[in-house]
Amino acid sequence: MNAPRLLLSKPWIWSFVATITVWIITVLFTGGASSLGLSQAALTFAAFSVIVGIGQMFVITLGPGNIDLSVPATMTLSGTLALKLMDVQDSMIVVGLLLSVLLGTVLGIGNYALIKLLRIPPIIATLSMSFIVQSTAIWANRGLRIKPPEVLASFTTSSLFGIPNVAIVALALSAIAWLLLEKSIYGRWISAIGQSTFAARMTGIPVDGTRLVTYMLCAVLASICGYLLASFSGGAALNMGAEYLLMSIAVVVIGGTAVAGGNSNIPGIWGASLFMFLVVSMLNTYGFGAGFRLILTGLIIIAVILMAGGRQSTR
Amino acid sequence: MIIRKMLFASVAVACVVGPISALADTADKKIALSNNYAGNSWRQAMLTSWDKITKDAVAKGVVAAADPFTTAENQATEQAAQIQNLILQGYDAIVVNAASPTALNGAIKEACDAGIIVVSFDGIVTEPCAWRIAVDFKAMGESQLDYLAKKLPKGGNLLEIRGLAGVSVDDEIHAGIEAGVEKNPQFKIVGSVNGDWAQDVAQRAVAGILPSLPEIAAVVTQGGDGYGAAQAFAAANRPTPTIVMGNREDELVWWKQQKDKNGYETMSVSIAPGVSTLAFWVAQQILDGKEVKKDLVVPFLRIDQDNLETNLAGTQKGGVANVEYSLEDAQKVIASAK
Repeated sequence: MNAPRLLLSKPWIWSFVATITVWIITVLFTGGASSLGLSQAALTFAAFSVIVGIGQMFVITLGPGNIDLSVPATMTLSGTLALKLMDVQDSMIVVGLLLSVLLGTVLGIGNYALIKLLRIPPIIATLSMSFIVQSTAIWANRGLRIKPPEVLASFTTSSLFGIPNVAIVALALSAIAWLLLEKSIYGRWISAIGQSTFAARMTGIPVDGTRLVTYMLCAVLASICGYLLASFSGGAALNMGAEYLLMSIAVVVIGGTAVAGGNSNIPGIWGASLFMFLVVSMLNTYGFGAGFRLILTGLIIIAVILMAGGRQSTR
Repeated sequence: MIIRKMLFASVAVACVVGPISALADTADKKIALSNNYAGNSWRQAMLTSWDKITKDAVAKGVVAAADPFTTAENQATEQAAQIQNLILQGYDAIVVNAASPTALNGAIKEACDAGIIVVSFDGIVTEPCAWRIAVDFKAMGESQLDYLAKKLPKGGNLLEIRGLAGVSVDDEIHAGIEAGVEKNPQFKIVGSVNGDWAQDVAQRAVAGILPSLPEIAAVVTQGGDGYGAAQAFAAANRPTPTIVMGNREDELVWWKQQKDKNGYETMSVSIAPGVSTLAFWVAQQILDGKEVKKDLVVPFLRIDQDNLETNLAGTQKGGVANVEYSLEDAQKVIASAK
């Protein structure tokens, strides 16, 4: 009696319920034959949404108004510059990754500098930052696709014991993020700031330092995701991040993280990322037209959020 | 004395410059390019081609200026404001790649009323006072089925990768593909996804639908999505079908590798980004006082098994197969429309 109720009280459970439902419906189309292939594809592509989603989740946890719209541009620039630096040489893989992380750090500091020093609201600050970053990416590669090093490309596209490597990377990053959020003082701080910045300041929490680190974390995760995605899909393209703006926000919200901040969870990001991939696959499999597909996707997302949110209001 | 010297000098200059400016009455005309988007390889190639051809034209004194302007967001309202600025800046002609076929009509009409020549291409506008350089996208879709009918006379299952939902180009290519399937009923579309003309989006969408699909004989595409589709088939360990390509370098390189390995055959079709230069020359011709029909059709660039290598050699690494148009090409297109 108690266990199911405890489970139902978790905000992330609904995204998993939705994911499993959609998975079953999709697999039914072929009478179960597609289950393995579909699961692997879902894990692969969910991994990218998970990585950017975690970063966005930390930022949203900081409370009302906090959001990072520079995620797609950061991904693009990171993929572009890293692949350009590596220039198809296997020996440069680690250097490329370091460049990505460094780039993310710098862009995160840049974002927060705009927010703090110039007192620009985060939504505007990160949006203007994304224009600068995207233009730099255009300037850097002029729309040309640069190939990833062979070893890196095969690493991102292959799998270990049937589990795609990118999913394993995303899982490792999720574990670290979970430790940060649930077990570290930093996790307590961002939740406290999200619930009340004023109270957090009064209790002596270094509000500005915590926010700076959070924006840096988000940009670094977006950078790593760009690095992996560019290697996975055979080259960086200027529009490769475009899909991940709404995606990064959607997986946070569907995953049961409070949009008003102060309350977040990692498992929900996984449920929501798998769900976002599977729902499109399901509608494609059943052959719905694009317009109908978009409407249905919207309705399903609203339904899942309502279910997850209904619980919170009775708290 | 000084005045006489100056007069003499200017007469001399006039004599030298005279013959050139007599070639074109457009030497003092200014042309602007209004572009709505720059964030993919096709658009980058389009802007590079524009730059290359128009710089040369300006240097030779054919026109006074040919400046490109690109809006930051792919939005009609922003482009309308941009066009209004161009009117105020006194350009004689505006070449437009439009964000929407209808939403810019107000701004375009204002330009026409101000006596400005407006030539739209690729993303065309419906405002009657503007010229349109359109691609027959429907024929482009149909040509894929014509090719497949010859290559696979027995027919089979097709996977269709569409472009960005809600954009007119996507609807037109799709209509062509549907017409082609109707003409060749041995083919059946068993699945359709939106690849947004991007490799990674196409790869994602195809990977999602592929486990539920039966054996696929061929993939019909819209360009920019063929390589992603090939990756998705390889990742799912499925036999590679005939994937129609879209002239991107990575697609052509992949095709070449398969061709060398196992004699893989397909074709590739798209519009050359250099169509912007065709639009430039058409605008120049109209400014020059030539009679030009309002609706022009630009041929698409098709690559086949036997000319793959030559096209690949001429394509920039990571770019799109391209041709730039000359004044003579433009005159031919204008003549063929009459």
